[in-house]
Amino acid sequence: MRRRSRKAERLLGVHPTSKGFGFVIFEGAQSLIDWGVVGVTGALNPESRRRVAVLLDRYTPSLIVVEDYFDKTSRRCARIQWLLKDIINLAALRNIRSQLVSRRAVRDLFVSEGNATKHQVAVAIAKRFPELAPRVPPPRKPWMSQDERMSIFDASALALVALNNNVDSLHTGG
Amino acid sequence: MSQKLENYLRTYRKRAGFTQDEVAFLLGSQSGAKVSRHERGGRIPGLETVLAYEMIFRTRARDLFAGPYGRVEQHILRRAKLLSTKLLAKKQDKAAERKLAALKAIHGRILKEFADHS
Repeated sequence: MRRRSRKAERLLGVHPTSKGFGFVIFEGAQSLIDWGVVGVTGALNPESRRRVAVLLDRYTPSLIVVEDYFDKTSRRCARIQWLLKDIINLAALRNIRSQLVSRRAVRDLFVSEGNATKHQVAVAIAKRFPELAPRVPPPRKPWMSQDERMSIFDASALALVALNNNVDSLHTGG
Repeated sequence: MSQKLENYLRTYRKRAGFTQDEVAFLLGSQSGAKVSRHERGGRIPGLETVLAYEMIFRTRARDLFAGPYGRVEQHILRRAKLLSTKLLAKKQDKAAERKLAALKAIHGRILKEFADHS
C-alpha cells in the first residue's frame, strides 16, 4: 500500500441519503472549502450522479471518499449501493482516486475521542470547523427521521477518517 | 499538492454566512447572479469589486483569487529572471546593483511563499 501525504490534497466526501446527498470539500485536514446538502427529485440516482459530476468538475478533487458499502457494518440499501458504485466510476473516468471508508473506521476515530452518537460526532466536527455549527441539527428523538443536514457531517466524518489515515485506498478507481 | 482553485469566494462567503444576494447588495449589485458568476469563474471581477471582496471577507485578494495570483507570480518570476540576465550583461553601476538587489528580493519572496504554501 502506497503512502501519500494528504496535507494539501483536495478531497470530496459524499454521503447519499433518501432525498439526495450531503457533501464536503476539504483542502487538507484544516481547510473546509465547501459543504452542503443537495436535494434531488425525480430519478434519484441519475440526478444525484449528475450533481456529483458538477462538483467533480468545479472542484477537481484528487480523491473522493464514500462509505464502504462492502463492509459488514454498512446498512445502505441497494439503490444507494448502486449510486456509490456509479460515483466511484464517475470519479475513475476523471482519473480521480476513490476511497471507501467503513462505518467501523468512522466509529473507531470518533468514539476514541469520546463521541458515541451521530449527534456527538456532528458537534465534535462543528467544534473543529465552526462554519458548520449552524448546520448541526437538533438531537434526534426516537420518533423523528434523520435530519437531512446530518449528511454533511456523515460526509465530513468519512473525509476526516481518510485524511487521518493518510493511506491510499485499496479500492482505487471503478 | 492539489492545484489551487481559481477563487475561494464561495468558501469565504459561506464561512461568513452571507447569501449571494447579500454580498451582491454590499457590492451595490441588483442580484446575486453577478456574485454567482464570479464564484464559478464565469466572469472576472474588476479591480474595485476585487477590493470590495477583500473588505467584505477581510481576506487578502491573493487568497481569494489564488488561481490568477499563482499565474501572475509565475509570470513575474520569469520576467524578473530575464531582467536580471539583461542587467548582468550590461555594465555594472550603482543603479544596476540596486535593481539587481530588488529583483533578488522578488525572487526570494516568491520562492519563500511557494515553500510556505507547499
